[in-house]
Amino acid sequence: MIDLILVAIGLTLIAVGVFYDFIGAIGLLRLPNFFTRLHAATAGAIGGAVVPMIGAALVALGADYLGPPRFFLAGAAFASSILLMILSQAGSHAIARAAYLSGEARVEPALHDALKEREGGG
Amino acid sequence: MESIVTSVLTVLIPLYVTSFLIYVVRVVKGPTLPDRVLAVDSLGYDIAAFMVVLSILLKSPLMVVCGLSLALWIYALDIYVAKFLEAREMGG
Amino acid sequence: METLFLFIATVAALLSVVATYLAIRARDMLSAVIFSAVQSTAYAIMFYIFMAPDIVLVYIPVSVGVLPAVTILLIKRTERYER
Repeated sequence: MIDLILVAIGLTLIAVGVFYDFIGAIGLLRLPNFFTRLHAATAGAIGGAVVPMIGAALVALGADYLGPPRFFLAGAAFASSILLMILSQAGSHAIARAAYLSGEARVEPALHDALKEREGGG
Repeated sequence: MESIVTSVLTVLIPLYVTSFLIYVVRVVKGPTLPDRVLAVDSLGYDIAAFMVVLSILLKSPLMVVCGLSLALWIYALDIYVAKFLEAREMGG
Repeated sequence: METLFLFIATVAALLSVVATYLAIRARDMLSAVIFSAVQSTAYAIMFYIFMAPDIVLVYIPVSVGVLPAVTILLIKRTERYER
């Protein structure tokens, strides 16, 4: 019984991950600016990668036809979800900072640029 | 149990492939370099999750390590490009 | 089931062809590095589908990790845009 509940929750989380993956992809395709696409990319990374990994860990804990190595699958999937939760945000922040500082991506429809004022017009 | 998991994942996997193709459209179109790096970043993380899901479908749980490796190295690629752009800005 | 796996492998193979063509045609060398990373990711999916995880574990650090690092160091020493 507990196996069936774990498998049901896990498959639901994987389906939610597919939905977030679509949201991230369509947002990355349709949004007009680099700094707005950043939002869609981080939503796609967290919702589309972390949530399905936790779901896969729950499915592997529940599915007993995989044999004893399924505990290895569950532990590795959970560890990689924890790592990804830190790494995707750190990478997106690094690339956004580099793109702003090097002037590679323009901040075009901007009403007020507070960071530029604070750095003294540079 | 096995038939439920296999049939649900078989329905979900073409949707994953479709969203990967939409990411690739942004990689090809991207007007500036950080757009491309951002799209490759999200594509790599989602492919890592796809590999974890696929190892359940292939019934071989020891293949899950590839997803972890891919996620860590995609992050390294991101940091390389960020360091390159910042070094160019400082004039080095 | 085998039809699904052949479908994924076919999509990955076509994707690697497109990425290789764009990497050859790109004027910006850093974009060529990014397209090369896309191509190696597609190859990683193909090796994974064909049940060769040991080759995936060797191929990803070489072609996503070490090759872009060396190429970006080379571009930093020389120039970025092709003339």
